[in-house]
Amino acid sequence: MNKTGFLYDERYKLHETGHFHPEVPDRLPSVYNGIKKAGLLSKLVQIKACMPEMKWIETVHDKNYIQRFEAACSSGKTIFDSPDNQMCSVTYDTALLAVGGILAAVRQVMDGELNNAFCAVRPPGHHAEINRAMGFCYFNNIAIAARYIQKQWGIERVGIVDFDVHHGNGTQHIFEDDPTVFYYSIHQHPSFAYPGTGREFEYGKNLGYGYTKNSPVLPGQGDTEYKRLMQRDLFPAFAEFKPEVILVSAGFDAHVDDDMSDIKLSTEGFSWIVQKIVEMANTCAHGRLISVLEGGYSLRRLPELARNHVEILLNG
Amino acid sequence: MFVSRSMTRKVITVDQEAYIFEAQELMTRKNIRHLPVVDKANRLIGIVTDRDIRSALPYRFFKESFSETKKEKLSNLSVKDIMSKNPISISPTYTIQDALLVIQDSRVGALPVVDDDGKLTGIISVRDLLRAFTNVLGIGEPGTLLCILVEEKVGQLKKIVDAITKENISFGSVLVARYWDENKRAVFPYLLTQNVAHVKKKLEKLGFTLLDPMQWYLDQLPKHEVTAETPK
Ligand SMILES: [Zn+2]
Repeated sequence: MNKTGFLYDERYKLHETGHFHPEVPDRLPSVYNGIKKAGLLSKLVQIKACMPEMKWIETVHDKNYIQRFEAACSSGKTIFDSPDNQMCSVTYDTALLAVGGILAAVRQVMDGELNNAFCAVRPPGHHAEINRAMGFCYFNNIAIAARYIQKQWGIERVGIVDFDVHHGNGTQHIFEDDPTVFYYSIHQHPSFAYPGTGREFEYGKNLGYGYTKNSPVLPGQGDTEYKRLMQRDLFPAFAEFKPEVILVSAGFDAHVDDDMSDIKLSTEGFSWIVQKIVEMANTCAHGRLISVLEGGYSLRRLPELARNHVEILLNG
Repeated sequence: MFVSRSMTRKVITVDQEAYIFEAQELMTRKNIRHLPVVDKANRLIGIVTDRDIRSALPYRFFKESFSETKKEKLSNLSVKDIMSKNPISISPTYTIQDALLVIQDSRVGALPVVDDDGKLTGIISVRDLLRAFTNVLGIGEPGTLLCILVEEKVGQLKKIVDAITKENISFGSVLVARYWDENKRAVFPYLLTQNVAHVKKKLEKLGFTLLDPMQWYLDQLPKHEVTAETPK
């Protein structure tokens, strides 16, 4: 059995998003309780939130953006950059704690104390651009983790798999020029879903051309199509790229019961995806894998999805 | 939405006395396919395209199988010998929609834009028009497309727009399309938000049918099949 880290902190619930917003604090207890009720907590190494060093956030975001975010938050603004990004007075601090916790998990995996980890954080990150908050996201958690791994441990190749039902525009744009970070995303087709990027013909830019891969999925599709596309697009690409660490943007909003999308993945479909990613990590990355929560809004389904997710990480 | 806003203003032009090789070299260097031909007063007198040049210079010419005399004859050709005289042009006050219809009818790849005095003020290409329509669709901005089926009667669109506006959601665009059922229309609001679950429920409560966009696509497919004409 693997040594698997589990990042969870009550303080991640402090970021409030207001009325009729799907990215609610209750998402996290759903995740936590699913894992707890299955009796998995004692098998996991629990990790708590902590403040990150700002220099790591600055490897991804402009200083000016970070200041703008802090100022907007402390001046009591309830919206930042886009109407989707509703916030409260502690949103900035919560976003920092999310990054800090993830970096702590990364450190433990990279130092060999853990094989892998699941980070249940809020707010999510993959839509956040270098200079702009978008789609419920403020700091691009996964991108910061990738840069941290490269700079602190001299890792050359990081692979990111993003199975949130929305395209991680922020992550793609941050690494589109960079041949050392391979970004793969599978998501609902951008003509039918937010944010409208992640088309099949986006492959990265300049030196990074060929190190971005998108698999858009048409509305109404589910397990079969995901399996077909990941087998066609992801597995061969990672077999060739040979990432030394795999990061996962784990969004659970492609579930058939999640009303954020028209994709119909089953609970078993998610398990298949995670199992395959774990196998890839075992093959090329010594099993090193850090998974970070993105979307997933069905409070009814999150418990089982989170439980299966960490169970697969534990069993390798 | 006028042509003057979307056209290219710094037009690269050519003199009618220029050799076609010079025109060809200019197009390659500037990565363009249409060269308006103007007189000394910048009045439009013709247009030459990369295709005009290609048909004037047979492929074999480059393979050097032609006799030297034939080669010389061809290389003496100047722009005025092969240009289209009195090309179709439009005025800067034309709308983008006008330009689109003219381009569609005339099957050209670009239209010179000429003012009332006959002077060339710009050129608008298919590429410029596409950019303008990408802008109209709003798809340069992050957002979500809804697909709503409505009865063909007055006030339906207003209801939808009001309901969405009340949720504080901005519009990237709204398209209306015919539906197979003649009494219905499909409305496609492109909303600049990720957060559409609530507004979808609200629209359903108002009695609107939210279509599965794939279903709409499949329903439309056979009826919209157009066979492209291939030039002989
Ligand atoms: Zn998502």
